[in-house]
Parts: sequence; structure tokens; C-alpha cells
Amino acid sequence: MRWLLVLPVSAIAVLPIQSDRPLRMTTESAEYCRTLAARLAETPQATAELPRGLGEEGRHLCSIGHYRSGIARLRRAIRAAQAEPRRS
Amino acid sequence: MMRILLVEDDVEVARFVKKGLQEAGHTVEHAPNGRDGLFLAASESFDMLVLDRMLPGGVDGVRLVETLRQQGNRTPVLFLSALSAVDERVKGLKAGGDDYLVKPFAFAELLARVEALGRRPSSEAPVTKLKVADLEIDLLSRTVTRGGRKIDVQPREFRLLEHLMRHAGQVVTRTMLLEKVWDYHFDPQTNVIDVHVSRLRQKLDKGFEKPLIHTVRNAGYMIRAEV
Amino acid sequence: MAKTMSERPRVAARPAAPRLLQSAGFRFALLFVAIFSVAAGFLVAVLWWATAGALDRQTIAAIRTDATSLVERYREQGSTGLAEAIEERLALDAQNETIYLLVDGEGRRLAGNLRDWPTAIGEDGAWFRTRIQHDGAVAEARVHRRDLPGLRLLVGRDESERVQLRLLLTEGVAWSLGTVLLFAGVGAALIRRALQVRMRPAVATALGIAGGDLTHRVPISPQGDEFDRLGASMNDMLDRIAALMSGLRGVSDAIAHDLRTPIARARAKLEESLNTAAGEAELRAAMEEGIADLDNITRVFQALLRIAEAEAGARRAAFAPLDLPEVLRDAAEFYEAMAEAREQRLVTSLPEHLRLVGDRDLLLQAVANLLDNAIKFTPQGGVIRLAARETETLIEISVSDSGPGLSPRDRAHALERFFRADSSRQMPGSGLGLSLVRAVAQLHAGEALLLDANPGADPPGLRVVLRLPKP
Repeated sequence: MRWLLVLPVSAIAVLPIQSDRPLRMTTESAEYCRTLAARLAETPQATAELPRGLGEEGRHLCSIGHYRSGIARLRRAIRAAQAEPRRS
Repeated sequence: MMRILLVEDDVEVARFVKKGLQEAGHTVEHAPNGRDGLFLAASESFDMLVLDRMLPGGVDGVRLVETLRQQGNRTPVLFLSALSAVDERVKGLKAGGDDYLVKPFAFAELLARVEALGRRPSSEAPVTKLKVADLEIDLLSRTVTRGGRKIDVQPREFRLLEHLMRHAGQVVTRTMLLEKVWDYHFDPQTNVIDVHVSRLRQKLDKGFEKPLIHTVRNAGYMIRAEV
Repeated sequence: MAKTMSERPRVAARPAAPRLLQSAGFRFALLFVAIFSVAAGFLVAVLWWATAGALDRQTIAAIRTDATSLVERYREQGSTGLAEAIEERLALDAQNETIYLLVDGEGRRLAGNLRDWPTAIGEDGAWFRTRIQHDGAVAEARVHRRDLPGLRLLVGRDESERVQLRLLLTEGVAWSLGTVLLFAGVGAALIRRALQVRMRPAVATALGIAGGDLTHRVPISPQGDEFDRLGASMNDMLDRIAALMSGLRGVSDAIAHDLRTPIARARAKLEESLNTAAGEAELRAAMEEGIADLDNITRVFQALLRIAEAEAGARRAAFAPLDLPEVLRDAAEFYEAMAEAREQRLVTSLPEHLRLVGDRDLLLQAVANLLDNAIKFTPQGGVIRLAARETETLIEISVSDSGPGLSPRDRAHALERFFRADSSRQMPGSGLGLSLVRAVAQLHAGEALLLDANPGADPPGLRVVLRLPKP
């Protein structure tokens, strides 16, 4: 019977937040946009329709300062490129 | 003659009973409540206790008898009571009472019961034959003879005769016969006991000059040899 | 006895309305609220565990898997392979929720998307939560630390969406708990009210009875629930009390009515002889007659008490197993002498044994009353029959005579107290005989019936049957 009591308690108990200074992310910058664009370009299927579209969109968004959405597009582009069946 | 302790709170009843018993030749001590009664009964020696069932003073008749019996006192006890319910009678007898008489009662009834109780054979030596004048009954062969002549009686008549002869010379009332011979507590409505006694009497006295079973007016019957 | 009789039931001391905590309705309602709340709390806990908890566990599992596979990668391909794997994972993270940081022994960043190694985050294998900054917005994250030779690795997940979800859940739970409490309160109030409403008839009846009117009964609803059962048993109890009361009233009526007559007669006789007796002998005779009258009154009184005792069921304590024919034979033998004296025949037809649980003295008294009646009403040379037999379910005792019998009109009243048919007015007797017979039959859960002994014949005779159920 004791597990009945333990389970809800363990679910509610949350680890305390430790550092008071928020950690900075490095992946929301024009630099990372470029890193990702380069990586996309290296991907073999990057020229397929979907990765290419997404990549362009991402680069555009990065260029106008929307790093976060731009990076998301670029990542999806890389993902799509990797998922694209290889043309032999 | 007996020494009797009467424990009764009602002054009039006590006076009436005491006077009657004294006239019958007994010595009577009277206690008006249970406490005094218990004290007297425990400290002095009596042949007989006549107790009211309900008494003032914290000790009622039943308690009194229970206490006496616990002390090993075996004096015969007759309860007088206004409580007629069967379980009250049973309670009284269970506590150690020997007889139970419901108020109102005829003095003759009380006296007959007192004498029957007081003269109970103290030793339970087995009696096999009872004899009154020329009448003799054999308790083993259950035969009745008078003047050497055998008389045929029915089993109930034998018990009736046996009871009368065990109390020869004493008055036996109709209710006593009903309780002791028929072993029922009930009201026979009519004088049936008289019919039974007169049937027995006819059988016993037929051909003899002297009657043995006598009717005691306003009381009951007595068997005795005519003097 | 007199003391208890004079004590009247106390009614005045009853409190008007119970205080809240004393009210059973309120306590039941409180119990209801408690059970309801515990159940709701449990439900919420399970819900929380299954949703927010599941999300938490999912995150932890994902981080652990991630970290393990990265460590695996390091074992196979060294720190370069590990850094490459991290960069690749970051490149593929379309949801933008993964957090990685790989630093070397000096704290230099080799790969990952965190700028600095956070301070104070424990040892190898530690779990912690922290805040991270996404272009201006601060989010929460859960991070796991793994140490490798010469390297330190952080693997984490952004939890901002989960935090959002948890907030939503908390809000929902708070609302539903509030609603639950509200419902519990309303339900409790309803229960309390329902209890009060269902109790009201019984309370009203009890108050009516306490007010002295014994005719009140608890109305029984067609639901047949616990309250109806309580009400029904209350009604049974009241019926029994009413029966006892009417029995008692019957006794006092009888005492008032039929004991007064013989007392008045005895008194008149004594008074008359006191005034007019010529001599001592006459006075003495009158006194003896007076005593005989008193004895008779005592007998009637005793009979009344016996009937009352039997009717009240108070004598059931004296019940014992008995052999009925034995009692009946005793009765027959007892009355045979009387019948013989009147040149009547008493014929018995009894089985050898007939087991019964009952009151020996009262059964004998009942049969004695019947035989006494039969002998009184049967003419000379007549026949009285005492019989007993058993059927599958019943034991039947019957006493028949060849007397005049009872007219149907008289029969209806013959079992009542002090009834005496007009034709028997001059006979001796108290008129209590048959009502005692009936009371004895009822005490033994049976009944007494009056029938013609010889239907169609003239005179028909009377046959009284006692029908008792078998033990």
C-alpha cells in the first residue's frame, strides 16, 4: 500500500532551481545561423525541394534578425535533407 | 410448640399472624423490617421463619433468606407475599424459601403450612410404612390396609392418602393438596378436591365405625385416630 | 411497585433542537464531505502523476538516453566524435529544446549551445534544474551532468512548455478542487436535509406518543428503505404497547366493573347483619359469609392477573418442554371425579406422547376451565370429551360437551372477559374462564375456537378447540 502514497508525492516533488543567473544560450545568433547553413550545404540531399525551401527561408529569417525562427527552419531543413531518400 | 420469627412490616397483618400463631401454641418474635429480621434470625435460634417477601430497610425477604442460607442456616422459611406472579414464587423458592403463600390468605392456611413445614422429618430416613389407628399404608408395595383388610385405591388416591398420613394430626388445606398431590398451581374453579377426598373417605371408612379423614371447617382435612 | 407506577415519563427535558455538532445529520454530512474530498484528492493526485509526472519522467528518460548514447559515442570515437555528435544533434533539434555543453578540463567549451559552465551544479551524475536565456526570454531547463576522462558533459532539455502545461494543470486542479468542495458542501447539505426530512415522520410520531396519544403511527413510504424498516419496527413496538395498554385497561375496567359488584354485595351483607343480626350466631354466620365473599373476590382477582400476565406474554419465562397428554390426563383424572358425581362420563382420546414447549400450569388451568365449564353445562348422563391430536403443523386440544352450546351471537363475545351468556347467569363462575383460555392460546402463539360439538343436533353442545403451533 505504501507505493500509493509514494507515487503522487514523487511526482509533485520538483527539484529546486539552482543557479540564480540564467545560463546564456549560444545557439541564437547569426553565427549559429551560418554554422547551420554551412552544415545544410554539406548535406548530400540539400538540393531536394523541401530542404532547399526550408533552408532559404531560414537564411532569410536569420538575415532579418529572427534568429530563433530562422534556426528552427534551418534545423528542419537539415532534418528533411537527412530524411530525403538518396537519389542514386 | 415452635419458636417462630415473623418478619412483616404491615402492623395489622403482623399483629393478626402473631396472635394467631401464639393461640396455636407457638412462641413468636416479630421484626418490622429486613435488617432487624436478619439480625434476629442470624443471632438467635428459631424453628421457623415467616417472612414478608417485600420489606423496608434495604433487606427484602429474598435477600434475607439468601444471606441466611449462605451462612449455612437451614431454618425452614415460609414466604408471605403480595406478589403472585409465578416467577416471583420461583424467585422466592430459589433463594432458599421452603413455601410461598400469597396474600391475602386465610389464617388457617398459614397455620397449616407453618405446622407442615415445622414438623417436617428432619432426618431423611426412608419411611416404608405409615400407620394411623388401624389404617396402614405400605409405601413400597403401595398397598392400603385397614383392620387387616386390603383396600383398593387408585394411584392418585394413594398419593393423597400418603400426604394426609405424613401429616397425620395436622390440618392439610385444599391448596396444599393441590400443590403437593397434583403438583399444579392452578385454580380448580370448583370444589373438585372435596370430591376426591370424599371418594377416598368412602373407600376407607366403608364398613368401619370410626371415620379417619376429618373435615376441618374453613381450613381443610386432617387424618387422625378418633380418641 | 407503587413508586414506579407513580413516576410519569419525563417529557419536558427534551432539547428543542440539537446544536450543529450534535446533529447526526450534520455529522453524516461532514463524513460525506470528508470522504468526497479524500476521493477527489486522490483523483487529482493520480491525474497529476499521470500527466505532469509522466512528462517529468519522460524528460528525465530522454536526457538519460541522450547522455548514455553520447557517452557511448565518446568511447567509440573520442572527444572529437562526441563534439561532432553534439553539434549534429543540435543541428537537428527543430523544437529547439535540447541543451548540451561539453567542456575540457580547463573549462573550455568544446561543443554545445551553452556559453558557460554553470556554477555549483554538483558532481558526476547530478541532476539539477536551471534557468536559461533564449533571446531575452528566460525559460526553465533540466540538466544532467556526466563526467568523462578530461571532459565534462551537460545534457539537458528546455522545459518551458512543460512548465506551461504544469501551470495549466495546477490551475485546472485548483478549479476542480474548488468545485468538488462546493459540490461536497451542497451534497452534505442535501444529505442533512434528506435525513431530516426522512426522520421527520418518526419524530412527529414519537412526539405525538410522548404527548399521550398512542394512536399515532409512523407513515411508511413505499420505498422500503432503512427508515421505513425503523418506522415499521417502531410501529410494531407501538402496537405491542397499545395491546398491553388495552389489556391493562381491560383489567382495570374489569376490576372497576366486576369486582365492585361482589365487593358491594359483601359490604351490604355485612352492614345489614351488623344492623339487624339478632344474636351472636347470626352475626358469626354473616361474617363467615363475608369472608367467603372476599375469598371469591380474591380468586377473581387472581384469575384477572393470570389473564393479564398471559396476555402480556410475561409468563413466557416459565415455558418448558412438556408432554401434553400427561398434563391432559392429569386434568381428566382430576375432573373425572366431579363428572362422576354428576353421573356424566368424561371420555378422553389422547395420543401416547405429544411434545410441546409451554407453560404447564397455564395449559392445565385452561383445560381445567374448559372441563369445569363442560361439566357445569352438560346435563346428567351427558358425555364430555377431552381430545388431543397433532396435524402436520398444529397441535389441537379440544373439549366437547353435550350441553346447550352457544348461539352464534354469544360465541362472538364468549372469549371476552366477564362474558356470561344470558342462559348461564344463574350458574356459579366468574365469566373469566374462556378469556383465560384464549389468553393461554395466544401466549402459546395459537388460537381458541368455539364450535358446535354435534352440528345440527339439538342441543348442539359446545366444542372448544385450542390450536397451538408445533414447536
